[in-house]
Parts: sequence; C-alpha cells; structure tokens
Amino acid sequence: MRDSETGTSLNHVNLPNRRARTLKFAALATAGLFVAGCATNAPQDTTDPAGTNAQQIYDLSWPIFAIAGLVGVIVFGVLAFVIVRDRDRGQPIPEQTHGKPKLEIALTILPALILIGVAIPTVGVIMDLDDTSDTECVVNVTGQQWWWEFDYPVQDGCGGITEPIVTSGQMVIPADTNVLIRGTSRDVIHSFWIPRLNGKRDMVPGRVHNLRMQANEPGIYAGQCAEFCGLSHANMRMEVVALDDGDFETWKANQLEDYESPTSEAALRGETSFVTNCSRCHQIDGITDADGVPIVSRPDQQVYSGAAPNLTNLMTRNTFAGASWDLINQDYRDEVWEASPEEFGDLYLAGVTDDVFNEVDLREWLRNSPTKKPMYTDPLELEATDGLVRGMPYLALSEDQIDDLLAYLLERK
Amino acid sequence: MAIIERPAGDSLTYADADAAVTATSSYGYLRRPVETEGWRSWAFTVDHKKIGIMYGVSAMFFFVLGGLEAGLIRLQLAGPEGTILSADKYNQMFTMHATTMVFLFVMPMAAAFANYFIPLQVGARDVAFPRLNALSFWVFIFGALFLNSSWILGGGADGGWFMYAPNSDVPFSPSNGVDFWALGLQITGIASLVGAINLIVTVLNMRAPGMSLMKMPIFTWMAFVVQFLLLFAIPVITVALFLLMFQRSYDATFFSVEEGADPLLWQHLFWIFGHPEVYILVLPSFGIISEVLPVFSKKPLFGYPFVVFSGAAIGFVGWGVWAHHMFASGLGPVSVAVFSVATMAIAVPTGVKIINWTLTMWGGKLQFTTAMLFAVGLIVQFTIGGLSGVTHSVAPSDTQQTDTYYIVAHFHYVIFGGAVLGLFSGLYYWWPKMFGKCLNEKWGKWNFWVMIIGMNLTFGPMHIVGLQGQPRRMYQWTENRAGEGPFNIATWNLVATIGTFVLAIGTLLFFINALVIHRKQPIAPLDPWDARSLEWLTTSPPKPHNFDRTPTVHALDEVFHRKYEDIGEGDEHEYVQRSTLEELVEEEERNGDAHIHLPAPSYWPIVLAFALPVMAYGVIYTTWLIVLGAAIAIAAMFGWALEPADAEESDFDPPAAGGETSKELANV
Amino acid sequence: MSDVVKETVQDAVEIVKDHAEDVHDHDVHAGDHGHDDHAGGHHTSLGLSNTKLAMWLFLGSECLLFGGLISTYMLYRNRHSEDVGPDQLWDIPFTSASSFVLLMSSLTMVLAVAAAGRKDDRNTKLWMIVTAVLGGLFLSGQVYEFTTFYREGLGYTESLFASSFYTLTGFHGVHVAVGIIMLIATMGMVAKNKISGDKAETVEMVGLYWHFVDVVWIIIFTLVYLIPA
Repeated sequence: MRDSETGTSLNHVNLPNRRARTLKFAALATAGLFVAGCATNAPQDTTDPAGTNAQQIYDLSWPIFAIAGLVGVIVFGVLAFVIVRDRDRGQPIPEQTHGKPKLEIALTILPALILIGVAIPTVGVIMDLDDTSDTECVVNVTGQQWWWEFDYPVQDGCGGITEPIVTSGQMVIPADTNVLIRGTSRDVIHSFWIPRLNGKRDMVPGRVHNLRMQANEPGIYAGQCAEFCGLSHANMRMEVVALDDGDFETWKANQLEDYESPTSEAALRGETSFVTNCSRCHQIDGITDADGVPIVSRPDQQVYSGAAPNLTNLMTRNTFAGASWDLINQDYRDEVWEASPEEFGDLYLAGVTDDVFNEVDLREWLRNSPTKKPMYTDPLELEATDGLVRGMPYLALSEDQIDDLLAYLLERK
Repeated sequence: MAIIERPAGDSLTYADADAAVTATSSYGYLRRPVETEGWRSWAFTVDHKKIGIMYGVSAMFFFVLGGLEAGLIRLQLAGPEGTILSADKYNQMFTMHATTMVFLFVMPMAAAFANYFIPLQVGARDVAFPRLNALSFWVFIFGALFLNSSWILGGGADGGWFMYAPNSDVPFSPSNGVDFWALGLQITGIASLVGAINLIVTVLNMRAPGMSLMKMPIFTWMAFVVQFLLLFAIPVITVALFLLMFQRSYDATFFSVEEGADPLLWQHLFWIFGHPEVYILVLPSFGIISEVLPVFSKKPLFGYPFVVFSGAAIGFVGWGVWAHHMFASGLGPVSVAVFSVATMAIAVPTGVKIINWTLTMWGGKLQFTTAMLFAVGLIVQFTIGGLSGVTHSVAPSDTQQTDTYYIVAHFHYVIFGGAVLGLFSGLYYWWPKMFGKCLNEKWGKWNFWVMIIGMNLTFGPMHIVGLQGQPRRMYQWTENRAGEGPFNIATWNLVATIGTFVLAIGTLLFFINALVIHRKQPIAPLDPWDARSLEWLTTSPPKPHNFDRTPTVHALDEVFHRKYEDIGEGDEHEYVQRSTLEELVEEEERNGDAHIHLPAPSYWPIVLAFALPVMAYGVIYTTWLIVLGAAIAIAAMFGWALEPADAEESDFDPPAAGGETSKELANV
Repeated sequence: MSDVVKETVQDAVEIVKDHAEDVHDHDVHAGDHGHDDHAGGHHTSLGLSNTKLAMWLFLGSECLLFGGLISTYMLYRNRHSEDVGPDQLWDIPFTSASSFVLLMSSLTMVLAVAAAGRKDDRNTKLWMIVTAVLGGLFLSGQVYEFTTFYREGLGYTESLFASSFYTLTGFHGVHVAVGIIMLIATMGMVAKNKISGDKAETVEMVGLYWHFVDVVWIIIFTLVYLIPA
C-alpha cells in the first residue's frame, strides 16, 4: 500500500501526551464539579444548597454528574487504549468489516437503560418541586428593569400580615418556612434565581409563576436576574434574607411603623428636597405636604414600566439600585454575610447606622445615577417610550442637596 | 451554456451551445456570461465548486469577525467590573457573536462542504439547479453584509441571539439593531431554504448509476439530513422573524403584553427552529469525521447503517425537544417532564455515533494526520459537551444551570468541539482535493494542539464559573459575588480569557498555513490519504465537469474497492493494492463520456440576490427602497426566466451538429 | 409523491438487506437507470423530474410556514376588544362564496393541466386565464373584506386578534397573488412558445402550487371562519 509522507509522519504524534491530557481533563471536569460543592465558594454556588428545594435538586443532580463523569472516563479510556494499541505500526490493512449488528444493538440499549434510570427520579423531582400546597407564607415578586420588588399581601401566613408591606432588593422571609413566591414582571422577562435556595423561574409579563422558597437557617442568600433583560441585566440582583420567627416579627413590625419626621436641620431640608425631586416616582409612606395631605408618588407617569422602589424603609435593607450597591460598608457587609445563623438576625436588623453607612456609592448614585448604572434616561433618546424613562434619570442635584438627601434617607428605617 | 464535446481524440473541445439549443431562443436580452477568469468568472459562476469555495471564504471571514467579538467579550470579563465595553456595546457584542458564529460561520461553512462535495460524492456533474445554487450563495452573502452593516448604522442587535420578546420590541431596544437582525436572518434564511431544496433534489435525483441511498458516502447522508432540517426549520423562524418585523416596523401587537400577548409564543417559535438548528450545526461535522476516521483507520465506518439511521433519528427527535430550552419559563410540570425525558432520548442516537466512531478506530491502522487529529479531537470534546448536556436534560438540575456559564461551556463544547473541529478536520482532509496541494502537516499539528488547548482553557473553566452561579450575558461581574477558594469566579474568568487568546493563536496558525505556507507546498498526489469515497475519483481540483466518465458505483467505499482487492480466502482477509488513483483517473479520462453538458454561468442570481437587502433597507428606512428593490427583483426574475438556454433542461440536449469550437469558451 | 416515498423506502430496504449480506455487492441495483438513457428527457435517480421534486419540497416547507402563522392565530383568536371580534365582523355567506370561487379555480387548474398534458395549447391558455381570473376574484373579495373590517374598526394594530388575522390571511393572499403572476407568466410563455422543457410539466408545477394554496385556504377558512372561538 502506498502511504504519503503525511500519512507516515503521523506516528510522531505525541500519544502519551494526548492520553494524559485527555484523562487529566476528564478527571478535572468530573472531580472538579464535586469538589466545588465542598469549598467555600461563590455566594451563588449552585452546589451548596441551603434550603430543601435546592437540596432536592442537588441530590438529584450529583449522581447524574457522577454517572456522566464515569461514562466520560470509560469512553476516554477506551479511546486512549485504541489510540495507543492500534496506531499505524506497519500492520497490514485490517479486515474491512462494516459492523456487528448485535454489538451495535447492545451498545444502543445500554445508554438507553442508563437514561431510563436517570429519567424516573427526574420526573419525580419535577412533580415534587412544582407542588406549592405546603407553603405557609406568600410573597409577590415583581421584576422590572432593573430591580425586584417584593410585596407581602395581607394574609394569615408569614405569622400574620395586617397591612401590605412593600420592599425591594432584599426579600425577607421567615427561616425554615415554605414560602410561596408568586412572580411576574412589569416589562420584559426576568428570571428569579437564588441558587442556594431553588432553581430559577422566569418571571413573565402577563403571567404569574409560582416558586417555592425555603431556607433552612437564618442568613443571607445571593441571587441574580438570570434571564437577559436588557441594558442593565448585570445590575439586577437580589438577596433573600431569612430570619428566625422572632426576628421576622421584629422586621415586620418595623416595616409597618409610622412615618418619623426628620430630626436634624439637614434631614428636614432633605425631606423638602425629596418631595421636590424624588417623590414623583419614589413613595415614602406617611410623608405629607405642608397642608398635611399625604404625598402619593405617580411613577407610572414617569417610568415606562410603571414603578419605582418604595423608599419608606430604605435603611432597613443593605442594598440599593437593584441590590447592585451596598448601603453598608464592606467590613460590615462581610460581618453580616459571614455571621453564624444565631448572630445573623441581630446584625441584619440593626440596619444601616451612621457608623456603617456606605455613603460613597449612594452619593455617586444621587449625583448621576445613569453613569453608575446604565439605564435609558436620556430625554433625547426616549422617543420609543413617549418620553418615559427606564431607570432613574440624572437629577442635576447640587452637592448641598445631596448632603441633605443623604441625611434624610439615613433616617428612613 | 457550455457543451464539452469529447471526440475520440485526447484533447477536449468546447462548442458554443447557442447553436445547439432548439427549445428556447433568446429574447435578445443579455447573453450568458462566458468569462472564465477574473472576478466575473466568480460573480456569475454556477459551478458548485466555485460556489463552495466562495461559501468557505466568506464563512472564514465571518469566523474571524465573530472571533474578534468573542475576544472583546472575554477581555471585558477578564476581571471584575470590566470597562472595555459599555453595557450597550457588550450586549450587541454577544448578540452578534452568536448570530455571526451560528448563521454566518458554521452554517455557510457546512454549506461550503455540502456544495463542493455532495455532487462529487454522488457522482454528479453539478447540483440539480446550478443557478439557484448561485442565488443561495449571493443571498447569503448579501444578507450577512446587510446584517453586519448595522454596526455602522447605529449599532448591532442587542437582544441576545435568542431575541426573546418583549425585550426585542422597540421600547426596550430602540436602535435599529434588532431590525437589521430580523431582516438579515430572513434573508440568510432564504439562502438556506433554496440551498436545502437544491441539495435534497441533488441527492435524491442526481446520484450516479449504482449509488443507492445506502451506498452514499456518509458525509452526503448527514448533509442530506441537515437539508431536511433546514427545509422545515427555516419557515418556522421565518414566521417568528416576520412577526417581530411587523411588531417593530408596523406596530403589530404580537408581543405587546399590554394587549394580552403571550411572550412565550416567541420562545416556542424560536426554539422549534432553534433546536433543530443545533443539529443543523453539528451533523455536517459528524459526517465529515465519519469520512475521515475510516480513511485514517483503514477500515470502513463501523455500523454504517446505524450511523445513517442515528443521524436521521437525531434529525427526527430533534423536533420534539425544543422546550428543554424553556425549563425555567414556567411551562408547567407535565410539559417539563415530557420534554425532559424526550431530551434524554436524543442522547441515545448521539451516543450511538460516539460508539461507532470509537469502534471504527478499534483494530484499525491509525494514522494521525491533522485531519485525523481534529476528528479524534471532535470525539473527545463533543463527548464532554454531550455528557454535560445530559446533566441539564434533567430539568430540575437545568433550572440551576440554564442561563449560566455552565450552559455556555456546554454548547461551546458541542458547537466548537463538535461542529468547528469537524469543519477543520474537513478542511485538512479535503484541501488537496479542492486546491491540489495539501496543507502543511507540521503547521497543521501545531494548529490542532494550540487550538485544542485554547478551547479547553477557554470553555473548560466556564463549567466552574457557571456552577458557581455566574449568569450569562452580564456585561460585568462583581468581586462580591466571586467567592474564594479554588473555584472562585475571578480566577477562572481570567483563565478563560487567557484561553481565548491561545485559541486565537491556534486559529491564526491555520490562516498562516492556508495563506502563506500553502504556497510552498508541493503538488499533492491524487490520493494523498488513501481515500475511500467517490470524490477522489477525479483530478485535484476536479475539472469543471467533475468526472470525465460518470462513475458506476458498486459498493460503499467505491474508491477503496477499485484500488484494493481482497485475495484472502474464507475468513482470512488480505488486501492488495491493484491500482493507484492516478491509474484509475487516467482510465476514466480515456473512457470519458462522449459529450458532457455543463450549465452556463448567469448574471441573474447575483442581481436577484442584491434586490433583497435593498428591500430590507427599505423596511427600516424608507418605503421607496422597497419599491426599488422589488423592481430590481422583478427585472432579475424576468432576466432569469428569459435568458438564453435554460441550463437545467439543455444539459441533456444533443451537441452542436457542426461541432465548431467557440473562441469565447475555449478555456472553460 | 407516495410513489417516490415508496420507491425510496424500497430502495433503502433492499440495499440494507444487500448490505447486511454482502457489502462488496458489485451488481448495479436494478432500480437505477443506466446513465446513457437520454431518451425522453433527462434521467434522474428517482424517475421524478428535478423541478417537480423541488416544488414538492418547497410546498413541504410552506406547510411549516402556514403552520406557524395558523398557530399564532389560534393562540390569539380570542384576544380582541368586546365589540370588534369575529362575531361582529364575519360575513360567512360572503366568505363562503369567495372560498367557493377559489375552490372552483382548482378545478379549472386541473383542466388546464389536463389540456397541457394533451398538448392542447389553446385550452391550456384558456383554463389558465380562467384560473387566474377566479384567483383575482378571490383576491378582490379579500380586499373588500379587509376594507370592510377596517371600516368597522379592525385596524392592523387594533388587537392581537387583528394583527394575527391580517397577517395570516394576508400571507395567504400574497401566495394567491404570486400564483396569479405565475399563471399569467406561464400562459405568456406557452403562448409565445418560450418554455424550453416539458410544457405540460411546467403547467403542472404551477398547478401544484395553486392547489396547495387552495388547500391552505380551506384549512384557514375552516379554522378562522367556521369553528367558533
């Protein structure tokens, strides 16, 4: 037979190298996936469940990763064996066999059996996860470009809620309780995802999707909008805060407290400034004008999607602007995030105080929000929305106004 | 039209066809172009080989463009709070990266091979409709250029390649990018549809005598399945794109939620197209390596009928799994369970292919040329992608993985590891057939290894990053969500970025090999790889009419059986080479067919294709352009219908009685 | 078409059988024609002309196009305002009449194809004109209907029902219009003897397309007009 130069030169390929690399990669890919679950890793680690739903998913997933890894190792092992054994050493042309049907059929049935083994528990878990009849607390979740709103309707659940609570960025739930999330969106499709608590569920405008949430222990669980939702998709984050029952009662009571008028001069000026510059969109419950008439925001007249975060209790939460920036400084943030379940409640409920307040980001935000977070707020570019903004526009506030607003906002808790 | 008259002598003569054509006579419009050199010979060609090469060159151009977009994306994500791209530009970048790679690189590259090699592999002189073939190419290239012209006309599309409604509607995406995207893909869709019809007819109707369907080379089979997928998938995306176009340009309400629209409509339409699209991307490469592995194992493809039927099965079941892209969309548990199980089912025929490839090599005489390395690379990389695919066929598991980098890792192992490695395998394998010289093997091996290391460095870490919870399509990631320890997002994002540049160097090595080193390569023998299928039974590159004598096929792996004889007895086999391809081709030349008819070039395909982007600009900017485009299209169609000598018909007309040689056509 | 399928399947089945037994089978399969069989036009592997096969494939693809549009309509058919919906708009007798006209055009198309098969140019032309005129009548009916609906308040952007109704029926109307152009062009070419290949086949191709468009209309008429929402 006639080999070209190219044909013979291939014996020089570094076979051991290839085999080693193949095996190494297989090992890395499979082993890596498991070890990932053990190390202290990213706050959105999908292999580190902290609630029953995520746990159920994880318990279903890891054996499948293991099976997949094993199949991979076998395939690569056989392949490496063939590559080494059957490389051209000048042996004669092998028999021109076209196949062995019986072997073929056997090797077709084998993966089919494995997959049937995978399919049965999968269907079970799908059905289980969909069942929300055992939930004891309802939170309505609404996505909007580019932040999440959480509202707690009046209900007997959640230990009883007598007046609606509206908050954003951080969803506070009682720990060790099955919470029903009823989610939708005001504009485009978003996806609600707290990896350590449950898989993601798209929040689709015009539809309500249910999702069950449960956290085993008090703590804070990171999440991120997972369906691409436009310009600032990356800046649409959220956190779930789980509190034990007592702390949760405290939190609820605090949310429903009456409006407290500003105490300092600066804060008083800030209140005026807020009414002038902010209250068209942002609601603060209880705030009144000079005649004592409650001021009600009308974000639907300014914002395309129709709402803006309610700021009544801004400083009880640790984040702002789609949970993308912190209201507390990095040290205190670390303290909160790393707190043990026992300590967590107190640290969280302390809220944003003078000494842990992260003024920098909020000041930058008030100075010029669209440069901090990309949004559609340039009046010249709003033809498509009839002049309505998507996001918080540049307000041209003076530094003094910002000082006053910061003083005022710091008291909102 | 050119008739190649071949009298008993050894030199070919060419007769002007006009004299021979009786059924039609020209209206006195433009005659058929006859140039055989210069740009006209390419612009007006209907030769499937030239069209194939043009597809390939354009595809490679868009591969580089899509690669640059990918490079920018990776640079942006190398560290936290990346600032290389603005959010807006980043969104455009990943949208156009995916769109470019899927529609403007992998699909046309596969079309290049299908165009070039299907007629050769089935023993035909051209495709069934040569002018439609030219039309397909020009429609594709004009559509692709139209799509990319958005970069200089206000920015590319920014809704992601999946373009979910309502985020793709005007209020949420006010620039014209999405319009360019919707119209551009409609145009390239026309190209795919016309090409699909053409190639299906070619395969069904133009096979050489003796070539039954089950003796067809496997690449032809897989490309054939792909054409059916295109035939039925393209109209579905066309509907979706029309709805989007009407929504954006003519204020329709299909995706207006305030009117009661259901955003999931788009998702269903898109993925009913989108999932078969995945197989449209990988099956041609499966076909390619199913050619390459047997050649360099010196064994026939193991279980050829199984590979054929599993390919067809993948094509078939591929229609029933689209909703696995929507496990998080809120379909309800029953739908999710059904699609979850259906998705697992499709892993079976895919597994069959991997098993058959491995068994093809089993007991073979393996020669690791670059083409073979890429083929084996495909098996390894695609297996990884396939196995990670199984992990998210499990719907609950997928709700943790979908829209994260884990998915990005998965489909890059499938598309880059599956489709692209296969295409490179094909380039190295068929290069001598197309250009008469082999690519340099030493450079080829560097090309392979750098590329494979680069791809694993780039896409491997994405598994980790994804499982650590980094969603896709975020223009920035933040330190606070990166974590610590060995699997922190920061480190692995950086590794992926470094990998991208390794991958880019690997790709660059190919271009150096193909454009620089290639010039100094010696002329290749007719059979550099000891090949097995029909496309090798001719000169390299093939003559315009492909085969001097239409081959009669007796067996699968026809060329192998013409070269070798089994002199063993009973169960003992011993193969002796009886003839070389040089001898075989010489024999074909000696016994060439008496007269060979080739379709003539035509002006009209490129003109007709040009009308489409004109109309598309009209939809975006001004109605007058639609009218102008329509006028061009109508003129072109009349020119097409009325130009002299309808090639498809007159291919088989008797030769010119006088046998006079036309000077114009002397060097066809 | 079924013959083609049958033949292909048979071909495949037999070859698989051959394959299993002896892959070095050197016999040319009986189903394949000798290549030098140039008599009577061109040889194809399936014995079906390329253009006809291509038309069938194209129509197969069109099924999916209309499938998508019909699904969209079915999803949105009930999403309209109280007072501008099918109940207020449909004029079933009128639409039935225009549907009947289109159905009749299929009959005249059959006559044209038959005439072409007999190489009867005169009747071919005649029946093609009649078909085109009937198609034109149907289109006029559609234009009239659209105008009426528009006057009654059903603008294209009015509701989901409106958008999907106009898109679906509009797409069909464009198909009819293309068919009419094909008819007229083919007729002109028949008249001037400009058809290079098999004249009867060209007419038959136009016929295939025309029947397809008619069948689609029957489906649309049933789903859109007759079955109550």
